[in-house]
Amino acid sequence: MNILVACKIVPDDQDVKVAGDGSLDFSRAHKVVSTYDLNAIEAAAQIAAANDGSTVKAISVGPKKADDSKTKKNILARGVDELFLAADDALDGLDAFATAAELAKLAAKAGDWDVIVTGDGSADLYAKQTGVQLAAKLGVPFVSGVVSAEAADGKLVAKRLLESEEETVEVPLPAVVSVAPEFAEPRIAGMKDILAAGKKPMNVEGAEGAPAKAVEEVSVKAPAEVDRKKEMFDDVDAFAAAVKAAL
Amino acid sequence: MSKAFVIAETENGARELCAGARKLADEVVLVSVGAPVSGAADKSFHIDVPAGNIADDAYVTVNKIYDAEGGDVVLGEQTLRALSLVGRLAAKLGAAAITGVSAVEGGVATSMYFGGTGVREAKAAGDVAVYTFGPGVFDASEATGTDAVEEAAFEAPENAVAKTGSEALPPSDVNLAGADAIVACGRGFGAEEDLQLARDLAAKLGAELACSRPLAEGVDWFPREAYVGVSGAVVSPKVYVAVGISGQMQHMVGCNGADVIVAVNKDKNAPVFKACDYGFVGDLKTVLPALTAAL
Repeated sequence: MNILVACKIVPDDQDVKVAGDGSLDFSRAHKVVSTYDLNAIEAAAQIAAANDGSTVKAISVGPKKADDSKTKKNILARGVDELFLAADDALDGLDAFATAAELAKLAAKAGDWDVIVTGDGSADLYAKQTGVQLAAKLGVPFVSGVVSAEAADGKLVAKRLLESEEETVEVPLPAVVSVAPEFAEPRIAGMKDILAAGKKPMNVEGAEGAPAKAVEEVSVKAPAEVDRKKEMFDDVDAFAAAVKAAL
Repeated sequence: MSKAFVIAETENGARELCAGARKLADEVVLVSVGAPVSGAADKSFHIDVPAGNIADDAYVTVNKIYDAEGGDVVLGEQTLRALSLVGRLAAKLGAAAITGVSAVEGGVATSMYFGGTGVREAKAAGDVAVYTFGPGVFDASEATGTDAVEEAAFEAPENAVAKTGSEALPPSDVNLAGADAIVACGRGFGAEEDLQLARDLAAKLGAELACSRPLAEGVDWFPREAYVGVSGAVVSPKVYVAVGISGQMQHMVGCNGADVIVAVNKDKNAPVFKACDYGFVGDLKTVLPALTAAL
């Protein structure tokens, strides 16, 4: 089975600073793979491991800074055979429509594929829209919330965890499936895996042009702080009295 | 005349979104893939999804209804199935949905960025704005409209996904939305049996029990409905007691609506103490029994 896994490279929100004017400063943030996309990579690797002769290729779209040696190796150290990355500042901050269009181009370059796995949602927008937009662009089926999947005869038999039910589905391939974090815990890549990752093929390219924007960002600011009392107690009785009074 | 096109799965979602749509447009058209919903929109469509199909694949019909009815703004319910329908329609329109919207003002939508690390304002660049909303943004009781519901036939796409089974999730006994008090447990709980200390406190306070993400996703100590935070529940009780929770933004975003936040943590530098009303530094194994006894 030929599996593609889409992942987003994002700034690490632990490194984000709030500037004096309330805007967020991402300039010094390290680049990392978006949290739930690590689960998607693991899911892809596990599906591949269960089906002999499978390949896993990662596809990713982002700004120039996404072309980061450590991050690329981190992707390839997790059971991924090859990486296709479009890294160009013209591709920074793309909405789901534009991202899907760019991912579709990379999918075409990655060769034949049976399934494209995406994560639950990205760390920045958590919009859960890129997978379905990609499926629409490619004209293939889409299911989300997938917690398990087995390949069977041109199909993927999958379980989806929805808000109030678990649904069993047969997805005809090729298809795009978005996996829930519960599908698989990301592995811890060992030193050997990371060293081997450095020798795997990495196809990095720029943009063919700046895609049109479907959504315009107006502002990004730190949230207004809720005014809290911040009263510290060291006497349990006084603490209990304060809690009781608040009820 | 401006028109809003609502895509919903649940009845409550349909009513909330239709109430919100009324504020954004003169006319409201509703398409529901769950139960038929009357009295919420000016025109109400229902798609009866066959047992062997998935509601996500109702997009062929939804898009056809949109073609016939139009709409300057699309409002989608934030359930996985409705998100699929919204994405398919957005793709067709060359649009992208702005999701998790908390407010729309003059065409500018507000939503969270990096799990609440930031607040983002964005607007549609094209002619049609597409938004999705979680529960509670609009008031379902404000929805008004026609009692007539038009049935629209489900049309399967090529290569339709087959639904072969469905199992209702065990009804959750977690009810965070209506709770006056919540005791939330975090990674500070080293062992599952220590949770009894939190249960005892919750019983004394008449509180619901909740948790931070690691206790619902990392270990399986809690059902996922009990997880408060950016991708979990967003709650607004009178009192929220955060125990052994460090206070990462991703968690606090879920409880910032509480009137009073109480924190117990053994690390005096935990960020939660900068975001609480009443704080106590100490080991939860000694503080919780003492607090429970003193209440």
